[in-house]
Amino acid sequence: MEISRDAYRAIEDIVGTENVTDDPAFLDSYAFEWLAELVRPNRSHYMPRPWAVVMPASTREVQAVTKVCNKYKIKIKPISTGWYHWAAPMKDNEPTVQLDLRRMNRIIDIDEKNRFAIVEPYVICAQLQAEAMKLGLNCNIIGAGSSTSVVASACAYFGGGPSSHYMGNNSDNLLGQEWVTPAGKVVRTGSLSSGAGWFCSEGPGPSVRGVTRGNLGSRGGLGTYTKCAIKLADWPGPTEFEVKGRPPGYRLPVGENFRAYTIGAPNWDAWANCYYAIYDNGLGYIFHRQLNLAGANLATALWLTYIDPTKTLNDVETLAKDPEIVAINETARISFQLILAAQSLDGIQLQDKILNEILSQTGCYKVERYCEPDMAEFTNMYMQRLGHKHCNFIWAGGYMGSWMQAGTPDFVKDYVPTAIKGFEKDQQSHLLVECGGDALMGCGSTLGGGGYFGLEQFVSYDPASDASIDACIKHMEDAIADCVAQGLPLGKELLYLQIGWSDQRIWDGMAKAPQTFVLDFQRQFKNAVDPNSLGDRNYPWLPEKWGQAPAPALAK
Amino acid sequence: MTIQDYRADAMRCTRCAYCKWVPLDLMKSWRFSKGCPSVEYGKFHSYSAGGRLITSLSLMDGRSTVTDKVKDSVFMCNMCGSCDVACKVCRYDMEPLLAMHELRAKLVEDGDLPEAFQPMLESLRKDYNTMGEPHERRGDWAKDLGVKDLTKTTAKYVFHAGCRYSFDGEQSEVARTAVEILKKAGVDFGIMGAAESCCGGKAFSIGVDQQLHNSADHNLAAWKKAGVDTVITPCADCYYAFKRLYTKHAGSTIKVVHMVELLDQMVTDGRLKMTNPVPMKVTYHDPCHLGRQGEDYVPWDGVEKKIFGQAVVYDPPRPRYNGAFGVYDAPRNVLKAIPGVELVEMERIKEGAWCCGAGGGAREAYPKFSEWTAGERIEEAESTGADALVTACPWCERNFIDAVRGTKGKLEVLDILQLVNMAL
Repeated sequence: MEISRDAYRAIEDIVGTENVTDDPAFLDSYAFEWLAELVRPNRSHYMPRPWAVVMPASTREVQAVTKVCNKYKIKIKPISTGWYHWAAPMKDNEPTVQLDLRRMNRIIDIDEKNRFAIVEPYVICAQLQAEAMKLGLNCNIIGAGSSTSVVASACAYFGGGPSSHYMGNNSDNLLGQEWVTPAGKVVRTGSLSSGAGWFCSEGPGPSVRGVTRGNLGSRGGLGTYTKCAIKLADWPGPTEFEVKGRPPGYRLPVGENFRAYTIGAPNWDAWANCYYAIYDNGLGYIFHRQLNLAGANLATALWLTYIDPTKTLNDVETLAKDPEIVAINETARISFQLILAAQSLDGIQLQDKILNEILSQTGCYKVERYCEPDMAEFTNMYMQRLGHKHCNFIWAGGYMGSWMQAGTPDFVKDYVPTAIKGFEKDQQSHLLVECGGDALMGCGSTLGGGGYFGLEQFVSYDPASDASIDACIKHMEDAIADCVAQGLPLGKELLYLQIGWSDQRIWDGMAKAPQTFVLDFQRQFKNAVDPNSLGDRNYPWLPEKWGQAPAPALAK
Repeated sequence: MTIQDYRADAMRCTRCAYCKWVPLDLMKSWRFSKGCPSVEYGKFHSYSAGGRLITSLSLMDGRSTVTDKVKDSVFMCNMCGSCDVACKVCRYDMEPLLAMHELRAKLVEDGDLPEAFQPMLESLRKDYNTMGEPHERRGDWAKDLGVKDLTKTTAKYVFHAGCRYSFDGEQSEVARTAVEILKKAGVDFGIMGAAESCCGGKAFSIGVDQQLHNSADHNLAAWKKAGVDTVITPCADCYYAFKRLYTKHAGSTIKVVHMVELLDQMVTDGRLKMTNPVPMKVTYHDPCHLGRQGEDYVPWDGVEKKIFGQAVVYDPPRPRYNGAFGVYDAPRNVLKAIPGVELVEMERIKEGAWCCGAGGGAREAYPKFSEWTAGERIEEAESTGADALVTACPWCERNFIDAVRGTKGKLEVLDILQLVNMAL
């Protein structure tokens, strides 16, 4: 279906002919998205096609295009780097313009003294980190890796990462923000609204963080975030990474005021106690259960293969059977990665001492092979830049994360056995990668200072195989059933599956939420900022009278 | 192989867009963080490797057709392989560069090659070079050098100057220097002169595979007749064609040496002594076909298989080309051996190097894009404070020289052989 020629021409007039297209093949490059095959009819790899892709270069152009969309009742779906199936239009036959924000790619400023950066949507975490490090600063890189947009993680999605434990979650690190609402109004939030600069998200001026972000963010469903300021953290390392080695297993030497450890635990209780002790003692610059994404049965064999540029994945099969590797693997079975950093040698020595005491008291230990220079340097590189995050896909090309319910270590360790058992059972079909039931990965904490996190089961499937896709969908359904049976909240699998559901089905589910007035309130908020309903349902709301409790009136 | 053979790769692409950047670990600044010239210039996702995989799938699925925009998105690319390196950091066994080649070949087969490539192809058909020059003049650059004519005699080594050094009067000095160095070193070599044919690499890079076969057949037969067992070339494009493409597509077993490898060897074994100081600060540009695409070709004939249920591997194990073992050290060793030369590195080097803009037919069919790409590299080179940008490929040099002239910049563009010559 074609966009109205009048609307198309009006958009061309704003952004220039070269920055808009409705060529079908070009549109398909935006409809094709990871995870689509799990939710679309006939396992299609395509989400619905946008009617046009538009590349604005400024807030003014975003606003002008948005106004055209309002005039012609065309939905608006902004993306920055454009990853995940919810980055595409949600419904077939619904006129949608995809705003590709890649031309808005500037780091506008880094305020060294006040430790924040102002960025546009197409600035990725790796770029900001590289620039911040020149000034002795660093930014939290989200779990999805450093190829992701800073603005997207701060304004429109979850924003947690391995360094959140120390640096905070990006939704928390969000300061001033510039937002073009679906109605085409430009809203500047916090101190920015008062002309006082970008330093504060809450005021003087409006704070919309609670309503536009929520826990998961609006994921492109509530207009376009065109700039934001993001809080930065201190960086006690060099002004740029001096990377060693050949691809793919690049290595980052561990500086004398840094440590890169993999910590093992004899059981999940000890593991949880170790987490608590790390929080209590304020340890850790980066804290993550990362390398287990390969699956606890195969992780050691995979990573020792990966860091050797002469090997291929075939070598994993042999290595995984090697008794020496099997033994190492067992010591790393319940493990996590911990990067320590300090401003001084005394500081790092003190942290080491504290960590050793924690290990001694909890029965945990440093996994020796992983702490040898090659693996330590690889771990350091991996965790500091998060440039290897898409190793998620290394086994078969497809990965889907199930579980990931967040809470305290005791809460998380209690669902681990169920998550492992369920995944092991689903692997018996041979249609998922058989990496062991524990492919659980997650931040040490997504709360600055520690305490709150989740573990996500990394389910590897082959997107080129219908049977494997179906097995992944079955696993998602099984995980939901396991959660329901255990009385646990549902995990990420639900979030992914819902993208393919009808409005009715989603609302039926939401109507059972314990506090539906929140969703009622969000509908009223949406109506206020999006009167033509041009945003999509990634911003969650319930139709009138669907909840159990009466909706509080929106203050005028 | 055909584009159908990469269908699974396309379905396994996750649109992560690593292909647009330098490998993320190597990123040192905002300014020089980009890896893919094509998507930086064309902007839409279709201009990236991931976008082209999706285009392939969309065309195969009959969801779209080849329009002029699609042709541009497929062909306005240097085929530099930056995407391939960055993709394989995490996606390990994906083959975006090979898939992009097959997409081009499919469009060529279907008659969808942009018209702008025709003059070059016509020149190849008629005169066996990419430069639109009469083939009889191909050996003129060496007329007064007293080099063996291998159409009349034999030698162990053939020096293959390549199209640009043969016909670009401003650059032929590099080939002449190479010849002088080889002579002084006592190498038993000759040239094919007018009988030398284009390597065919450029035609192959735009998807006209038959031209590569024609060139390979001609050159290999001529070399065999002349008793040659090693080809020496100062051109990175030719090097890649002989080393990788001839081996893969024509079963060649001839040894291939780039001049920088030979220079490095000659410095090491003492045959090349550079005593004249050259007080210059220089930066080195890794040509794509010598660097990340300059790895040895390892024959492979196998199939995909699965282990651990669904993990994808190959039987027998498939060689990986990810830029890990390109020719990076040899040119740097030579530069470091020149007295007075200070080597300062750019941010994007070795497997992460930004392309010069000349490859993939871009210089011929998309000159503005090609010039812009070169301009980006010039700016990066200038940011190092270097007096000269040194490289080891005539196509890179020509593009850089033109870009510097376009901006009236002061950066000197030199082949590494020119620097060596200054030091002799």
